[in-house]
Amino acid sequence: MTAMPTNHAAVHLEVQLSSIKRDPVLIGLWIALVAVALVWVAPFVFIVFTSLKTPAAVTSTGAFVPPTELAFENYSAAWSRGNFANSFLNSVIITVIKVPLGLFLSAMAAYALAKIRLKITKALLLLVVFGTMIPFQVMLAPLFTLVNSFGLIDTYPGVILPYIAFGVPYQVFILHGFFRGIPKELSEAALIDGANHFTIFRRIFLPVCLPVLAALLILDFVSTWNEFAMALVLLQDQRMWTLPLGLMSFQGQFSSNYGQLNAAIVMTVLPATIVYLIFQRYFVSGLTSGAVKG
Amino acid sequence: MSLRQSTHDPRVQALVLLVPALAIYAVFALYPMINVVILSFQKWNGLDPNRQFVGVANYTAIFTRDPVFWVAFRNTVIWTVMSLIFPPVVGLLLALSLNQKIFGRNGLRAIFYLPVIIAPIAVATMWKWMYDPFFGLFSQLLTSWGMQGWIKDWLGSKDIALYSVFVAYLWQTVGFSMVLFLAGLQNVPQTLVEAARIDGAGRWAVFKHVTLPALRPTITIVLVLSIISSLKAFDIVYGLTGGGPAQSTQMLALWAFTQAMQIFDFGRGAAISVVLLLITMAVVVPYLRWTQRHEEVEA
Repeated sequence: MTAMPTNHAAVHLEVQLSSIKRDPVLIGLWIALVAVALVWVAPFVFIVFTSLKTPAAVTSTGAFVPPTELAFENYSAAWSRGNFANSFLNSVIITVIKVPLGLFLSAMAAYALAKIRLKITKALLLLVVFGTMIPFQVMLAPLFTLVNSFGLIDTYPGVILPYIAFGVPYQVFILHGFFRGIPKELSEAALIDGANHFTIFRRIFLPVCLPVLAALLILDFVSTWNEFAMALVLLQDQRMWTLPLGLMSFQGQFSSNYGQLNAAIVMTVLPATIVYLIFQRYFVSGLTSGAVKG
Repeated sequence: MSLRQSTHDPRVQALVLLVPALAIYAVFALYPMINVVILSFQKWNGLDPNRQFVGVANYTAIFTRDPVFWVAFRNTVIWTVMSLIFPPVVGLLLALSLNQKIFGRNGLRAIFYLPVIIAPIAVATMWKWMYDPFFGLFSQLLTSWGMQGWIKDWLGSKDIALYSVFVAYLWQTVGFSMVLFLAGLQNVPQTLVEAARIDGAGRWAVFKHVTLPALRPTITIVLVLSIISSLKAFDIVYGLTGGGPAQSTQMLALWAFTQAMQIFDFGRGAAISVVLLLITMAVVVPYLRWTQRHEEVEA
């Protein structure tokens, strides 16, 4: 997408020249965009500043006045009062198991749907696409009943399995589209040489789709890390809580301690933000490969 | 057939590859969906070993005797209409601007997209604090501009709470529409844009006659995804208001949850879920048919 065909090079240059000529429309646009962007980052600035202010400074200084003395003790206090070590560990364990496992299972299924002809392929594919659209928020109560009947409430598998189930449709959908685009000759040659589909999947298709897998991995990391509604229903015991649940409860208990509350927000949001800032490129490609053909 | 032979059969290999993912999907996603439909015709408190079949009693109860249901229904409709208008329009404007060659556009894109990756429950916690009537961001800003009279109890007043929640939702979701539109804009044929420019078409004419028609598939996708995600709005409402004050921000997804998991009337909760599911289907099914036709045309 980034490489422009050569016959566009001239136009490319022209566009650059026209922006050098300081097109007034573009300048106006730029000023408007920066203004909107400032509004968009303002909440982050406000949260970070507040998280570093002492209780006295929160009530006496303005919203965008930087803290004079950095009250890092807000972070350590929130960390221990909100039992964050525990919920952080739970979030890490659930995410680290769920994301690669779910993606691998999805890739297997997507390969079979794309490259092995079965009578039911079309029906299965429709079922999968349908799954990308159904809101799990509607099924929280029956999900609780189901997981409870397996005796898995307040366990890691009890939340990982539903997470995988609701991640499968989107991932299979994307990977299926990708696998289908890989030329038949590649797998047929290997089949004639006597390789079975497991080998072809592992040796040819997985390596080829690494960039897509990376995009899906990062996207899935963030949505698993952030998931709240299912965890709320399936993890009742405080010792099993994930970070979003811990933050919610912290807000309920210590909402008047603004510095610590905002420190808790920053700590919850930071891992996903760091992952996003590092892997920005993959996010966009992962999101758009499914929804819009690029 | 020996084991060795059977693993040579592509159908067996396909089965081995398909079963793990699809079995988990069937058990933990499809089965609860079927179960929610069955539950909606039953009376159950979640504990009793026996579920009692009650016909359509749950539906008549929510339609005729549950005033909150209609409030939640109305709020869901308002919310969906707002989600159909504001995030896509703002997202499109941002995408069109950021598609120009302007200084720092990658940084600007990152800023608008950042809220998308933050946990909705954290967004709720952030905005709850920003809406604080005493020390929150909005009250502080209005005070410093000498507009104290405009300060409201943003989340505590029945008339505006729903809109306050929506502003937080807008802040979070605009980046998503923007990214989809930016991707769609890459498919606008540049040769047509140039040709129109050479023919003397202004910016508006190019947008109206070239860009907009080329964006049509993207617009459909963004609108459908906006509807679906707006129907699912749960975390942000739960975190900001919990449906209050006086049910003024109650929505169908949250009310279904509350009925089942807090009032322990699983039957009624399921009936509300089925209503929401039907509304979702009314959007999804035509969309799926549209994409299939679309693919066939392209193939």
